[in-house]
This record gives sequence, structure tokens and C-alpha cells, in this order.
Amino acid sequence: MLNVIFKSMLITSIRDKITLFYSLMFPLILMLGLGLYFDSPDMKLNIVSGVTAISTIFWGMQGIAFQVHFQRNKGVYKLLKLTPMPTISFICVMTAARTVIGLVLNMIVWIIGMVFLKFDLTLTNILITSLLIAVGLLSFTAIGFFIANLANNEGQINMFSNLLQLPMIFMSEAFYKLNSAPNWVVATGKLLPFEHYVKALKGAINGMDDALLLGFLIPLLYMVIAILLSVLTFRWEANGTTIKSRKKLSA
Amino acid sequence: MFLIKARNLKKNYGVREIVKGINFSITQGEVLAVIGPNGSGKSTTLEMLVGLRKKDGGEVNYWIQNYKEQIGMQLQSVPFFPGLTALENIRLFAAFYKIYLHKQIAEELLQKCGLLESSNTEATRLSGGQQKRLAIATAMVHNPKLIFLDEPTAALDPLSRQEIHQLILRLYEEGKTVVLTSHDMDEVKKLATRILMISNGEIIAEGSPEQLCNENQVHNLDELYLKLISRKAMVSC
Repeated sequence: MLNVIFKSMLITSIRDKITLFYSLMFPLILMLGLGLYFDSPDMKLNIVSGVTAISTIFWGMQGIAFQVHFQRNKGVYKLLKLTPMPTISFICVMTAARTVIGLVLNMIVWIIGMVFLKFDLTLTNILITSLLIAVGLLSFTAIGFFIANLANNEGQINMFSNLLQLPMIFMSEAFYKLNSAPNWVVATGKLLPFEHYVKALKGAINGMDDALLLGFLIPLLYMVIAILLSVLTFRWEANGTTIKSRKKLSA
Repeated sequence: MFLIKARNLKKNYGVREIVKGINFSITQGEVLAVIGPNGSGKSTTLEMLVGLRKKDGGEVNYWIQNYKEQIGMQLQSVPFFPGLTALENIRLFAAFYKIYLHKQIAEELLQKCGLLESSNTEATRLSGGQQKRLAIATAMVHNPKLIFLDEPTAALDPLSRQEIHQLILRLYEEGKTVVLTSHDMDEVKKLATRILMISNGEIIAEGSPEQLCNENQVHNLDELYLKLISRKAMVSC
């Protein structure tokens, strides 16, 4: 039965063509635009890996957070609660479905970037990068699901996402070196999955294999924690619909 | 045969008691209408029975252990997965019940609910009446023994109401047990074999429509409703 649910979750995401369009166009324009102005090989490596990583984190976190929030507001999770479907299965299937679509989008972005910035495309780096992106998407999507459970409205989704995404991006070496940054910035960055993910993406291109292991392990660890937190905090109803409003009535 | 027995069922929202220790049962094969004013605790009671809300007191006994697999419910809010057609929603909800609903069977279910022509329309774009019928179809995907319908005809035009009445009568004829809430006494008269009247979280009347009308010396259910609810309001004052 999980394949029917998986397919349905794929369809709900695929039919949102506007989101798909911007999820593809924004990183492509950013990558091609930056690629025109930088010639150094190091910077080109930063651009193709950094933009792909940013595309992954945005699709993963905010994409699912808004989708879950929308579905919850529509009331479908209330119906889901009537069924014997375990919450963890639903969360995992939805995360997996979003990951598949995100993988296609991010691989398109990455391959176009690699060709445009004149990097060698080999079967090995395509395979490693696709695996890395899949793991990154699983991790950031699971975190996004957790954010959707914490947030009561769209504004809070943005707030929670920024609270996590901005430190992850700016405390990483996605686009610049952190050699002159304070130690606590470097240390904090290393605790977050994005830094390891982006380093592994670079490693997949320039053959520095030592970054790959952490690039797989740390995001996977975050994914497990985020899924557990998502299960524990899963809400069947939007806030303020029944219980809160009835409490107000009784006051 | 009893399908559900509720004893001393209670629910509070904050300091307010919404359901005040009510006792009742649901018998196989009946159409039970739960009626009462807005905010009297009808929906909360139903939602406690199906496991959507936690009860604050009392106990509910079901005829089987895995009751979720034998109970279907149409909610007041008729929610569907955005972006999916009527057919896709039906098949998705069947999957939540661990049932693979073949396309042909799903279409038969939609036909039964008068929705076959709209099977490929996005569920959220259907008309109000069609959405209610789709919600009932969704409640039936796992062929449950007991179906809860929370205000199935609220805010619908007479034709849509008529179609839903026919659907409920068909379910009754098939031997399904139906529990519905309604504010429409003509509808209750037409469909219900038994009535449970709730006011201010308490059961104030229970019995068949004829029995209740005779006992209270009224001519119809509208009169019965007004008499009992106003009597209850006076007692509360």
C-alpha cells in the first residue's frame, strides 16, 4: 500500500508546477549568473556545489514545511488519524516522495552547472553526487517536516526555516573560506549538516574522498533525529481550530 | 447486537464541560440521528467515539478490537489532499487502510455516490454537494460496518440533499450502521430509525422518532425539538 501513498504524494508535489518551476529556475539563474563573473577554478567549484546545496536545503526544508502546513490546514490529517496508518510511515513516505522530486531537480541544476562551468562529468561523480543529494534531501526534508509541526502559520515557517538555514549556510564554506572567522563560528558550522554536505559535494567533483563519509553520515544522523522529532510532534489539526477556540469560548 | 457502548463519557475544553458523562449505545443496522443545538457536544461525542479526540472520562467499548478498520467517518470539513483527483483521493485513503483499491472498484464506489463523471476532477474543485458525497465515499473505502456522518447535508441545495439522503438509505438497506448528526428534522424523520437528542452535553431524549413524538405529545420532530430544547434551557436557567 505504501507505493500508492508514495505515488499520491509524488503527484501532489508534481502538480504544483509553479513551485517546481521556481525551484529549478532560481538556482539555475544563480549558478549561471555567478558563473559568468568568476573564472577561478576554486570559485567555480564553490558555485556549482554551493548553489546545488542551497537548492537542496530550500527544496527540502521550506518546500515540505509549506506543503505539510497546507495539508494540515485543509484538515486531511484529521482523516488520516481515523485510519490505522502509522504516523511514522506517513512521514517517511512523504519525505521519500519529496526527495525523489528534489533529486531530479537538483541533479538537473548540478549537471547544467557542471557542463556550463566546464567540469568533467564522470559516471563516478554523477553517482556519488546523486547519492549525496538524496541523503541531503532526506535530511533537510525531515527537518522541514519538523518545522511544519512547530509552526502555526506561514510566517512562523519562514522564521523557523531562516533560523536554521541561515546559520547553516553562512557558517559553512559553501562560497568562502572560514579561515579568518571566529573559532565558534567554525565549530558551530561543523555541528550542522550543511557544512559536511557541501564539502562532500565538492569532494565528489575534485576527488577529495575524505569529505564524503561525513557528508553521508552527518545528514543521515540529522534525518533520523528529525524524523523522530517529527513523529513526536506531529499534529493532526491546525492550531486554533477547535480546542483553542473552545477554550476561549469557555473563558 | 451492540457495536459501541459508551458509559459516563466526558469531555472538557478548559473549565467548560462539553460532554457531561453520557451513556448510550449504537446497535447494528440502525440509522441513529444525533441531534441538538450548535455547541451541544454532538460532534465532540462522535469524534471521541472514532478516536479523533481523547475522552476526559468514562469508557467506550467496541464490538471488535481493531475498530478503526471497521469505522468510517465523514467530517464536517470535508478535507481532501490538494492536487489529487476524486479517484486518486479515494485510492489514497484506501491505502491508508492498507487496502489496494483497484481502479475499477474505486470507480464503482464513485458511481455509487454519483461521482463517476467527476472522478478525474481535482477533489477540491468539486461542488459542495459533490465534496460531501466524495467525503462519504472516502468513509466507505474500507467497506466499514459503521459509518459516522457529521452533518452530511449542511449548507447543501435541495437536490444535493436528496442525493445524499438516497445514498444514506442505500447504505441502510445494505445493512450498514449509520450515525449522523443533523439540524434538519425532516431529514431526521426520513432517515433515522432512532434519535439521540443532546443538549448542553447531556442526553435529553432517546428513542425512535414515533416513540419520542408520542411520549411528548407532539405532532412532528420540529415540535419535539423545540419543546425539549426549550424545556432544557429553562431548567438550566
